[in-house]
Amino acid sequence: MTLLSFHDVHALYGQARILNGVSFEIAAGERVALVGRNGVGKTTVVNTLCGVTRIERGHVEIRGEEVRDLRRYTAAKNGISVVLQGRGIIGNLTVEENLLLGTATRRRGPWTLESIKALFPILEERKASPGLALSGGQQQMLAIGRALMANPDLLILDEPSEGLAPVIVDELADLLVRLGDQGMGILLIEQSVGLIRRVAERFYVLSKGAVAASGSLAEIQAEDFHKHITI
Amino acid sequence: MAIQLLNGIVYGGLLYLLAVGLVLIFGLREVVNFAHGALFMLGSYIGFTLAAAGHWWLGLLVSVVAMAAVGCLLDVLVFRSLRKHDHIVTVLITFGLLLILETVVTVTWGKAYLSYPVPKLLDGTVTIAGSPFPIYRLFIIVVSLLVAGGLAAWLRYTRMGLYVRAASTNAHVTSIQGIDVDRLSLVVVGLGTALAGLSGVVAGPLLTLSPTMGNYILIDSFIVVVIGGLGSFAGAFFAALLIGQIHNLGAIYLPWAATMLPFLLMIGILIWRPTGFAGSRT
Repeated sequence: MTLLSFHDVHALYGQARILNGVSFEIAAGERVALVGRNGVGKTTVVNTLCGVTRIERGHVEIRGEEVRDLRRYTAAKNGISVVLQGRGIIGNLTVEENLLLGTATRRRGPWTLESIKALFPILEERKASPGLALSGGQQQMLAIGRALMANPDLLILDEPSEGLAPVIVDELADLLVRLGDQGMGILLIEQSVGLIRRVAERFYVLSKGAVAASGSLAEIQAEDFHKHITI
Repeated sequence: MAIQLLNGIVYGGLLYLLAVGLVLIFGLREVVNFAHGALFMLGSYIGFTLAAAGHWWLGLLVSVVAMAAVGCLLDVLVFRSLRKHDHIVTVLITFGLLLILETVVTVTWGKAYLSYPVPKLLDGTVTIAGSPFPIYRLFIIVVSLLVAGGLAAWLRYTRMGLYVRAASTNAHVTSIQGIDVDRLSLVVVGLGTALAGLSGVVAGPLLTLSPTMGNYILIDSFIVVVIGGLGSFAGAFFAALLIGQIHNLGAIYLPWAATMLPFLLMIGILIWRPTGFAGSRT
């Protein structure tokens, strides 16, 4: 079942067009990466899904149904959790309160405060600390934990490896593969070759606001792949 | 001295009721609401109309509900669309609202000064430290403490309170979690203006009603919000108590400087700590 699909989406920031006909889809349990150099429109895909960027042409479907009025809360209410670039930790809330924020949609599933703390024990140890008092890697755990608290069918992560030590990136890759194996869709928006090679089964290569190539790693010409991402 | 300190707490309590509404609205909407004093004044007049007919408590209830409704309308029709504009635009528009509300009240109730009755239940005095002290003023202290305690508990222990604290810091991230911040703002702005109505009625018997009665106390409320820290509820509480004491003791011991003291304190605190006591925004 297709969880999320973009169909020829052209999107604007003010008057500037950033997406020029982006089409992609992701099904339940799939691990997909959206890759490309800085400024090609990767984060704009997230912003479009969240209603921050205005769609000029084309449309977005969630579970096969066109969503005309995309708002910031639309994705979450439809079982799609987003881990924003920069993590989006709320500084005046404690670690535990940041996690509880993830339960706003009240979707039921395997992920609870207890299971998240079991997955990331440091969040139990630091539960009363302000969210921003955590290290970069711990903040990423918190952001992912908060997204999982919504028990999503699809998890979107925008540049999750940014600022993380290689060992933490490895742990993150293992976790994302595990989540995918458990049936959760994973859409990874990333530049780190190491992470996307380990996690993604399928790739969409973005260039100048459109999909330049797509397929499995074997299907995409190595030249195309490396031309469009930072190594 | 004890009586003077209590009078300072009374004024501080009134300031808190008004300032916390400003904090709520600024936190969610980032709107510096210059019309808040006019809502305080309108709430006072609505309550007065019923109180003068012998229905003081009904006047309190109607004023709070009416101001909540006005707040919801303001949020949908004005504040929501102001998000995309500069702060100067919001200041000008809310200042325009202030003028409109003052005109509406002048046309409806006239310009004459009016005296607000004290409810019979709270008429009279008690003796504190050998001096008589009006029961009504104790009532204001109790109302302020109940609102402060209730608001703190709501923000700390309820799901909606958590969302309000989150959205006051980062509305975008909060809404990405699936929270409709516009709907949340409707509740919060309605609560903020309801508190303006509450403070308008509660302050009524201490003040003389006039269409401009909200302007002076609004300035003190802004000082409270700035000193306490923009967006900080606890900061507003302690700043209100501080300004209440400075206002009251200044009038007794430094009458020539009394009106300047809150401004001097604000300037000093902003130089020392630009975010105020407990704020994170400048």
